[in-house]
Amino acid sequence: MNNLVLTIALPLLGAFLLPVVMRLSQALGLWLGPIILGYGCWLLGNLWFSDISLPLSVAIGGFDAPYGINLYLDSLALLFAFAVQLLGLICWPYGLNQDTARRQALMLLLVAASTGLALSGDLFNLYVFYELAAVATFGLVVASSTSAAYAATFRYLILSGIGSVLTLLGIALIYSQTGTLNLAHLAQLAPELLNNRLGLTAYLLILIGIGVKAELFPVNAWVPEIYATASSRLSGFLAGLLSKLALLIILRLLVLIFDQPEAVQIVLILGILGVISGEFAAWRAKDMRRMLGFSSIGQLGIIFIALSLPDERGLLALLALSLHHLVIKTGLFMLADGWGGSLERLTGAAKRSPVGAALFTLFALSLVGVPPLPGFWAKFTLITELAAQSEPLYLIGLLVFLLATVIETSYLFRIVVKLYSSAETTSEQPEHQQLPGLSLATASLFGIALLTATVLIAPIGDGLQAVAAEAKNTELYIQTVIPATPGGQL
Amino acid sequence: MIPGVTLELILYVTALGLVIIGLAGVVLSSHLFRMVLALVIAEAGANLMLVLSGYRWDAVAPILMQRTDQPAMVDPVPQAMVLTAIVIGVGIQALAVSILIRIRQRYGNLKRREVAEKMDAEIAASAGIRRDISQDAPLGERPLSPLPAHTAESRGGDA
Amino acid sequence: MRKLTGLLFAGGLGFMLLAIASGLDFGSPPMRIGEAIQSASPQEVGAANIVTSVVLGYRGIDTLGELAILFAAASAAGLVLGRRHTTTGTQRKGGFVLFHGGALIFPFLLTIGFYIIFHGHLTPGGGFQGGVILAAAFFLPLLARPGARLHHSILSVIEAFAGASFILIGLAALGEGQAFLQPMLNQDTLGALISAGTLPLLYIAVGLKVGAELASLLSNLAQTESEQ
Repeated sequence: MNNLVLTIALPLLGAFLLPVVMRLSQALGLWLGPIILGYGCWLLGNLWFSDISLPLSVAIGGFDAPYGINLYLDSLALLFAFAVQLLGLICWPYGLNQDTARRQALMLLLVAASTGLALSGDLFNLYVFYELAAVATFGLVVASSTSAAYAATFRYLILSGIGSVLTLLGIALIYSQTGTLNLAHLAQLAPELLNNRLGLTAYLLILIGIGVKAELFPVNAWVPEIYATASSRLSGFLAGLLSKLALLIILRLLVLIFDQPEAVQIVLILGILGVISGEFAAWRAKDMRRMLGFSSIGQLGIIFIALSLPDERGLLALLALSLHHLVIKTGLFMLADGWGGSLERLTGAAKRSPVGAALFTLFALSLVGVPPLPGFWAKFTLITELAAQSEPLYLIGLLVFLLATVIETSYLFRIVVKLYSSAETTSEQPEHQQLPGLSLATASLFGIALLTATVLIAPIGDGLQAVAAEAKNTELYIQTVIPATPGGQL
Repeated sequence: MIPGVTLELILYVTALGLVIIGLAGVVLSSHLFRMVLALVIAEAGANLMLVLSGYRWDAVAPILMQRTDQPAMVDPVPQAMVLTAIVIGVGIQALAVSILIRIRQRYGNLKRREVAEKMDAEIAASAGIRRDISQDAPLGERPLSPLPAHTAESRGGDA
Repeated sequence: MRKLTGLLFAGGLGFMLLAIASGLDFGSPPMRIGEAIQSASPQEVGAANIVTSVVLGYRGIDTLGELAILFAAASAAGLVLGRRHTTTGTQRKGGFVLFHGGALIFPFLLTIGFYIIFHGHLTPGGGFQGGVILAAAFFLPLLARPGARLHHSILSVIEAFAGASFILIGLAALGEGQAFLQPMLNQDTLGALISAGTLPLLYIAVGLKVGAELASLLSNLAQTESEQ
């Protein structure tokens, strides 16, 4: 199973070589990235259908955990790793200009880092991949080379720098208390060594640090500007996937190491605040991209609320919401490729682009949670789960969630109405915004995925249930990474 | 030596002090380049904290020597981590400075508030929103962002 | 007001962290994995410098990620600053001391840089430290003559192949049926210059990569500055 590491190593290799290959032969260079990502998809897809028993742990360098670094592959990690490679292929920066080699190399680095985030089982290694994803993101955003993109990237860079300082501090605290970095080993030691004030502080530091990417409430100031200045494909990748990967790390930390009630409550409170701030700001936004950015803050807030739920059904809701948001947000950002400007300009756009308008309506319906669509199912799982909790804080979460749904409906359907209104476009708005064909095709892909999920909702639900059960099983994680030795703990 | 002031206290105060000075600097400075410098200071503190996590009394550097009585060595893992963290920091700082050079060329200066305002104006202009409402209009007239533009970074620091 | 709250917050955070940290057992770390690595690494990896065993062996993929971060930062900086052709001759040259001192010190810097890289598995130092010195060696002439330019095409070839060879050495182990980045080749005597299997090779790759990456970053910055 050592091949698994190829999903990280090959994109890195491709990224290093791409500038030189591109100079030797442009045709070869242009194919290099997509081929590598395609191979990654094939490799991971094969794993899904093969009879290899998951979860499994791959020691890198032949050094067994906890001494070396290991990759941990369970269904959840496999799902996300596959999504990374596939979405990397979908959001690939096609298009040619003088920076093609650099942009494609950075995209390969972003994919490699994201795959690493999904698979790595070592705290510090996660930090390294997290920083790699951050730097690659900076590079891809500034590639649009507008002044606003520079300023937005600088703000993101400073915020993420603060995040990385806090994360490092958290890691230092954890290491000086436990002397290990392996997640499974930490999980073994946590009940004894980290179930105290120090553990909680370290957790908070890491939560805020990693939360920068997960659009967690107080550290999400970068979101609207980055999504407004980056290319739509990149915004789709960031909002759809990278935020979920940061969430995945927080989930692993919560399940494995910081299984304390305070840790969960913090997530819940920050999630609620995120929902409130994000949804109201989205409601007030006047342009498509910033609206999508704010709405993604709100959506991730909802996902954080789901993250704070204690049992397996909560994790199921989390997974369903995450995957749903992944499909919808990426699809919506694809549409924003042509419709990115002011919302006023969209008046009557349905006539010019009926498919685009239909897709927008479909995404909006599912995002709000209209019954046959998967969004309903995801939200319904969350509501039942929230209502079943006895703590009052969860009740507040439920109320905020319902309020958010109302606000979402209001701002999304305001746009839908605008799209289908037949009002004459006045002379003020001469530019008819056209959706580029490639973006429309990609968005249709997500639309089809959504409809397929609607039909197959029952088997998907069962599958996710199994995934959630596996991810919640701390014992299994520890046993897989550090097989029990008769002598007991290390 | 002053009683009560131990080596560990001095080291911890230094490490955490650097972090705090750095974070406060990021929050308080009104010039973008100073924010980068403040971040460098904070990173130094975090790195020092990381090295301290592997320190051992009376131990030597973890290098094997050709002798029979090998003294106790400090933990090698934090040293490797700190090497990684430093290099990562250098890369990010270089990128930050190169972005600042461009911002300075495009916007004329590096004052935090002015850059934030010009950025907002540019995004709005490219989105095609008429900005008849000035930035100084009553708060209710502006899109309510969770973090107003000119204090965004600082609020991030409050996290 | 913002400043006051910021200061209060920072002070509070510092106090809290200090209170937490003072509870730590300073000077006697748990060393759960550190101890095991110290005792096992001479046999498993064979490098006298145990930090090198950790950097390139036990945590090899961290180092790979770190190289990738430097590469990403250099590419991004290249994207930001672009490659403008500067007009030479308008810049003021460095003074006599800088000019000739730079030329004089260049071969020594190269020697020291490579020495540190080659002895990374034996002494404190290694690819990163040596690579930085190499970058300095090539950057010094730029300071002395601001109009001069580094050959970006050569730099990017070194960048590409140094990075690629790190991964290829790792993949070679995978091709042999072992794990990615598993140390190979003969370990030889502990403490000899040629020992520790593939580790010195990896460090040479790291050194060249770091050197090329930093040199291109610095020269990009320097050129843009002289544009203004």
